Amino acid sequence: MFRGEQAEMSGSEILSTLLGSEVRGDLLVLFHRNPGLIDTVDGVARRIGRTTVAVINEVRELLELGVLRQKRIGAFEVVSLDRAKDRELLESVANHLKAVRISGEK
Amino acid sequence: MRVSDSSWTNPRDNFESVPKSLSPDQRFAAERAFSSVLVNTVREAVGDALGRNVLEILTSKGLLDASNNSKEFDSKLRSLFGNGAAVLERIVVKDLNRKLGIPYDSDARFDYEKSLETAKEVCFVESRLK
Repeated sequence: MFRGEQAEMSGSEILSTLLGSEVRGDLLVLFHRNPGLIDTVDGVARRIGRTTVAVINEVRELLELGVLRQKRIGAFEVVSLDRAKDRELLESVANHLKAVRISGEK
Repeated sequence: MRVSDSSWTNPRDNFESVPKSLSPDQRFAAERAFSSVLVNTVREAVGDALGRNVLEILTSKGLLDASNNSKEFDSKLRSLFGNGAAVLERIVVKDLNRKLGIPYDSDARFDYEKSLETAKEVCFVESRLK
């Protein structure tokens, strides 16, 4: 159903994708708070109080980015956090944010 | 924001909205309690969404210093995250509401400033009841 593919992206682009929607934000928080979580898209949707329809495209975006990965366990397609890729992507975001100036910055 | 499904009044001015029956000491304590809950919630929300490294960078840029000033916080967050700022603000408000027992409706129109005013009202009412 999903493929984990990602062209080279800048920290800014990664950030835009990660925070592209409220559901995506909820998914990030869910998997970062539960880094060992392995569940179906239906299960993940229930955990964040959404419908599968509302979540499926958002999960797809995170799979394409590489934050999440998918595999088959028995009859079920499940998704989980790709911890190494997640660390790598958040490092790019951190490097991008280091260079951004905000008003009143110390 | 979810004020529509709560019974709280939602005046524009933070301080005028504070219950008048609090003594100065109670008011000070309630202000501090709310500030503490809010800063902790912002830290948790940003850290859980984007990781500890990002949180530390934002802290070093003074973002958390602005946590109690919703307009300044919103402005700083937008300068860093653009449209993503609204997503982070929703995560903050969702967590804050959960801690304070305020219902959250993802489908309702969202207003960060008003959401914080509502949360502050609840915090002050709880202080008065203690």
